[in-house]
Amino acid sequence: MDRRSGKILIALAVVCLVIGGGYVAIAALGPSETTTDARPQATDVLDHTDVMVRAVEPSKPTLNGRVFVVDRGKVRQLPGEIACERVYYAGGEGLCLGVASSGVEYEATIFDSKMQPQHKITLTGLPSRARVSEDGRYGAMTVFVSGDSYLQAPSAFSTRTTIVEMATGKQLAQLEQFSVTKDGKPFDAVDFNFWGVTFAKDPNTFYATLGTGGKHYLVEGSVSERTMRVLRDGVECPSLSPDNRQIAYKSRIGNSERWHLRVLDLATLKDHAVAEDRSIDDQVEWLDDNTLAYSNGINVYTVPADGSGEAQLLVRDATSPVRLGAEQELPAFGR
Amino acid sequence: MYQVEASKALLKPRLWARGASRLKVPRNVVMLGMVSLLTDISSEMVATVLPMYLVFTLGASPLVFGAIDGTYRGAAAVVQVISGFSSDRWRRHKEVAGLGYGLSALGKVALVAAGNTIGGIGAIVAVDRVGKGIRTAPRDALISLSSAKDRLATSFGVHRAMDSVGAMLGPLFAFGILIAAPARFDAVFVVSTLFAVLGLAVLFLNVEGKPRRAPRTGTPPRFRAALGLLKDRSFAPLLLAAAGLSIASVSDALIYVGLQRTIDFEPALFPLLYVMTAIAFMGLAIPAGQLADRIGKVPVLLAGHALLLVVYAVLLMSSVGYILLILCLLALGGYFAATEGVITALAGAVLPESLQASGIGILITVVSLGRLVSSLAFGALWLELGLHNAVTIFAAALLVAMAIAAPLLLRAQRTPAHG
Repeated sequence: MDRRSGKILIALAVVCLVIGGGYVAIAALGPSETTTDARPQATDVLDHTDVMVRAVEPSKPTLNGRVFVVDRGKVRQLPGEIACERVYYAGGEGLCLGVASSGVEYEATIFDSKMQPQHKITLTGLPSRARVSEDGRYGAMTVFVSGDSYLQAPSAFSTRTTIVEMATGKQLAQLEQFSVTKDGKPFDAVDFNFWGVTFAKDPNTFYATLGTGGKHYLVEGSVSERTMRVLRDGVECPSLSPDNRQIAYKSRIGNSERWHLRVLDLATLKDHAVAEDRSIDDQVEWLDDNTLAYSNGINVYTVPADGSGEAQLLVRDATSPVRLGAEQELPAFGR
Repeated sequence: MYQVEASKALLKPRLWARGASRLKVPRNVVMLGMVSLLTDISSEMVATVLPMYLVFTLGASPLVFGAIDGTYRGAAAVVQVISGFSSDRWRRHKEVAGLGYGLSALGKVALVAAGNTIGGIGAIVAVDRVGKGIRTAPRDALISLSSAKDRLATSFGVHRAMDSVGAMLGPLFAFGILIAAPARFDAVFVVSTLFAVLGLAVLFLNVEGKPRRAPRTGTPPRFRAALGLLKDRSFAPLLLAAAGLSIASVSDALIYVGLQRTIDFEPALFPLLYVMTAIAFMGLAIPAGQLADRIGKVPVLLAGHALLLVVYAVLLMSSVGYILLILCLLALGGYFAATEGVITALAGAVLPESLQASGIGILITVVSLGRLVSSLAFGALWLELGLHNAVTIFAAALLVAMAIAAPLLLRAQRTPAHG
């Protein structure tokens, strides 16, 4: 290196250090987010249903991902510090997938009915879906993992789904390690991806999506036997109705990243569309045996499950709706 | 885990400052390594946070990004051959490589300015991929032309090791910034841009564009001469051997998937698989290069593939403990160290000076096509016959490929090509 180019380089490095360091410092020390009055708002569709949601306000870390309940038309924030990208609650056990306190990792928090964290599990990717069986015994969580390594550029994303025992926080299994059958024969491929678990009343039985070779199969599985069998194609993010007779799911439009919501009758295997024309990327929740709740990433809507009626706004600025049945203890209520 | 990464990675450059002269690696190679190190910091910073950024800021599914990225990888392969030949033809390896590095830097600037739409990000990822496709062949040609023929493998080893240090540091810097300034992705993009600019500056200020072996006289090569490499009596066997070996090699991504199925361990430990392989690669790249210069590139290449056979063997076992898993990852890192740079070094030794970038561009394209075929075939075999049988077939195929490659590679090494 001749002396002149060396000097130019050192000068440039110093300039970069000043600009970069300065920018990061200003970003780090800049005005902290102020609290806001913006929070999930209930609409008058609701008169008595109790729903848990998480707030959507990406620009406000103090509010984004906080858990609220909508109780008889009134929204109130639950106590506690947890913030979730995805939340579920059933049988006195809650599952919250969010950013860890380190700020750069994701973790699952199992919380109790007082919104107190009981167990924490480090996640290996971006939170996607969370579900807890009705009796609070098992939880299931799906994360996106990127296929990137340090030696190869990221190529494709895949999913990983883990079943946990809620009481102990123990990870029981990854669905990727279950054995799968299709038409009675063993079925396995390198590109197997599982997502969107829903538990039956008997929590040993679950349904989920198996993605492979461009197909999206509905599978029925057994936690204890570590098996799954393929039921049919074209079903993503299944959600069992409270009476376990129907499955609401998202149905891909062609090969696009767009989905319509449909409902499948498990007895007749007939399915029908619901009155929602927008593309919805969500695992639907059943408010009761006749009503679906879901989010478009901005607001929570409801629509009748039988295909009649029309979609109605339920809660503004919220996602991840969870039914809190009348018989179910509301978390941290009465405090 | 990131702490381990940090200390390992931070130690390395300092060791090199002293070690570079002892390794007798030309200054130009170290400077090209520096360019790659800085550029890799820049691109890995973005690659690390892009999924988070897409989901949390734009509300998009990460699957969209997978689709975006896959689309342009094919395009990059074609660009490689064209950029390789152009830089030979114009005798401007440094400038063509600079165009590639410059495009990627521009992509980072665009991310700061307009990275808030899915379409915008798609375009930026595309520009970045094309930039990578343009720069690889002329850069490797410069490394080759800067080195004495008997030091080629060491030079490539040093470059690859420095390159992987950058790939390790990038995520650390990105995480560091996000810890200091939560959710400020713009700060990550700004710092990434600055690293890209620094990389470009080192290239233009400190890299010699006409190194010692670079051709200075004679007529510039015609495209026909570059095409002639395909039936050249020493380069063609090398290409054939490289194609066979890459088809029989299962990609590391698929190996990790296979390990995940066979080993019952905490999912949270999974990222460690990548990190350990990368550390092994980083640590072994230089020794493997030195060894190749001392005892010959062909034996080292074959030994590297033998290490891949060890990995296959682990995949075939019904139960794998942690010690065996670590050995398997070390073998995988060793396989990369003994093959990735060494095969390029072999090409550099075989190719005439006037067609270095063209030949390396063709080699990279053949190898990446081979990997594509390998991934498709492995996936199909896994589906039809199960993981165990698929690995068994690939192990047999790799043995056959090695047996065929050995005489081809030796022949390539004996007779220099004529451009």
